[in-house]
Amino acid sequence: MSAPTLSPPAPAYPTRRLPNWLEPMVLLAPGGLWLAVFLVAPVGIILLLSLAPDIKPDDFNRLAEIGLGPGNYLNVFSPIYLLVIWRSLLLAFNSALLCLLIGFPVAYWIAVHIPKRWQNLVLLAFVLPLWTSSLLRTYAWITILRPSGVLNSLLGVLGLPAVQLLNSYTAVLIGVTYSFLPYMVLVLYASVEKLDRRLLEAAADLGANATQTFWRVTVPQTLPGIAAGSLLVFITSLGDFINPDLLGGTSGLTVARLIQNQFLGATRNWGFGSALSMVLILGVAIGIALLLKYGDRKAADI
Amino acid sequence: MSPFNMRRRRFIQNSGFFLTGISLSACGFAGGSNSSQSPSTPEATSTAASTAGGTLSLYAWADYVNPEVAQAFTQQTSIKITSDTYDSNEVLLAKIQAGGGAGYSVIYPSDYMVKQMIDLGLLEPLDKSKLSAVYDGLADNFKSLYYDPDNTYSIPSTWGTTGIAYNSKELKSAPTDFESLWQLRDQIKGRLTLLDDVREVLGMSLKSLGYSYNAKDPAQIKQAYDKLRELKPAVATFTSYDWRDQMLSGDLLVSQAYSGDALQVAKENPDLKYVVPAGGCTLWNDTVALLKTAPNKEAAYAWINFSMEPENSAKITEAILFGNPLKTVEPLLPDEIKNNPGWAVPPELLAKTEKLEPLDDATQKIYDDYWTQLKSA
Repeated sequence: MSAPTLSPPAPAYPTRRLPNWLEPMVLLAPGGLWLAVFLVAPVGIILLLSLAPDIKPDDFNRLAEIGLGPGNYLNVFSPIYLLVIWRSLLLAFNSALLCLLIGFPVAYWIAVHIPKRWQNLVLLAFVLPLWTSSLLRTYAWITILRPSGVLNSLLGVLGLPAVQLLNSYTAVLIGVTYSFLPYMVLVLYASVEKLDRRLLEAAADLGANATQTFWRVTVPQTLPGIAAGSLLVFITSLGDFINPDLLGGTSGLTVARLIQNQFLGATRNWGFGSALSMVLILGVAIGIALLLKYGDRKAADI
Repeated sequence: MSPFNMRRRRFIQNSGFFLTGISLSACGFAGGSNSSQSPSTPEATSTAASTAGGTLSLYAWADYVNPEVAQAFTQQTSIKITSDTYDSNEVLLAKIQAGGGAGYSVIYPSDYMVKQMIDLGLLEPLDKSKLSAVYDGLADNFKSLYYDPDNTYSIPSTWGTTGIAYNSKELKSAPTDFESLWQLRDQIKGRLTLLDDVREVLGMSLKSLGYSYNAKDPAQIKQAYDKLRELKPAVATFTSYDWRDQMLSGDLLVSQAYSGDALQVAKENPDLKYVVPAGGCTLWNDTVALLKTAPNKEAAYAWINFSMEPENSAKITEAILFGNPLKTVEPLLPDEIKNNPGWAVPPELLAKTEKLEPLDDATQKIYDDYWTQLKSA
């Protein structure tokens, strides 16, 4: 038996003479290039246009003449447009709230009451509609909600009075909530699934009733999920265009529709449209920042 | 917590980014989908030859490129046709200005848009010697229109009015004029649509007040806006095309509509009618024009000639039911079209129509502000 001798470690792979900075560069280049070309550059152009007061596409080559200024942004804060922004925020808030109210019981049911092996299947079923075009799903809602539509036929059969829902705020809220509910359920499911059941038992042992347990044990534990899901829905509905446009009728202009109007309407005020877009991007960015902050910190807590 | 959960959480957060991207990009789907929709076949841009043969790309209103006619053209000339559609002149202009129109040769802008495009230097002057048959066939009233007096850049291809489509079975009294919308407003509450077009909607109100569609006086425009506010509670939505299905299904009773669209709907259901407003409305025409950047110009001339041969042009008119500026076409059309007052507008009504003219920026802004207020009120 020979004594174990330590031979000098053979190099596992040939030593590379590449400088340290090169490897991350190579790895990040494709993604970075993609982001630079398709995200950073366009947003940069939008930013530039947003600073050129009332610029039209005809005037792009006269950009230097027109000069830069905050005119478009000041315009955003005129009462007509503030009303539009406020309405969009309200819609996003309401749809987040509605998604939470509907989504929480569903997520709870899937995570707690469905056997483990079925959970993924049920979740899949919930997400399935997302695989079809959102435009198609919105058109389906038109078919359901219109005066002679599915809903009213059903109400008629049951002997109930018909309702006038299409082209109203309610219709938009239904459409938006429907569109983004799966996201809420997914996020909440991830949160509820990790719920520590022993704490629920402990709460029951210590004499808490169901309501108390729910508010003082379940909700605090799933709070990060609630926050993340609500923000996600809020952000997505803030920029939603299809539902307000197809279901809303005259019930009100939202920011996304207003932006579209600036770019493709008769005024063709791309400058103002860009300023509105920047405001929307800023709003969404704040939302994402909140999402990241809450997500990260609480993830470490649990 | 398990690393698996950690990963999933991370995944969900990241998908948040992803979804946000989607939601933002969905902001402008009407334009977006169009502008991302480069000519349907990739060869269109790259291999469009500068000689006849090859591929010709058209950018047109829906149904303007009749599949039957296009097929016959390809058989005769072996030029392949690809076409995309737009639903507003502004979308057309935006796409071309944003550089997305490079592959297209032939476009179909409306009157005021022709003027705008000429001013912007986007259109190619037509070689009239190559289109003599088409020019000779034009009816006299299409030979000196304000936007392009000698038809140097464009040839009128279709014309129409903007009037009222309505359900004659459910309405006790038929609308005869835009003023009727105000009179009927309680009966048609929530079952009326107006076009998604600032000039048509404010113009209709201006006209019913006795002013011009092209009014520049802010006081008149304000009056028209105030009058529209009275009608607003009755309006279900502002839409230029989506009203058709809903009118056929009986959900809508009255829609402000382009003549051909309304006549097509009326053909499907005889209870639905189209009326040219007695007090006057807009008279517009679309044209066929050549982009300065057009690849394959010879093929473009061939297409314009072919599609405006009387037989082919009649075929297109029978399908879309808009008016036809070629005097050679009318004899070929069936009586049911020729005798329809919605299609063959009586001269006394035609005399009351107006053409929309481009506005100066300041006036346009006034219109647009009222439009935003009307839609967001």
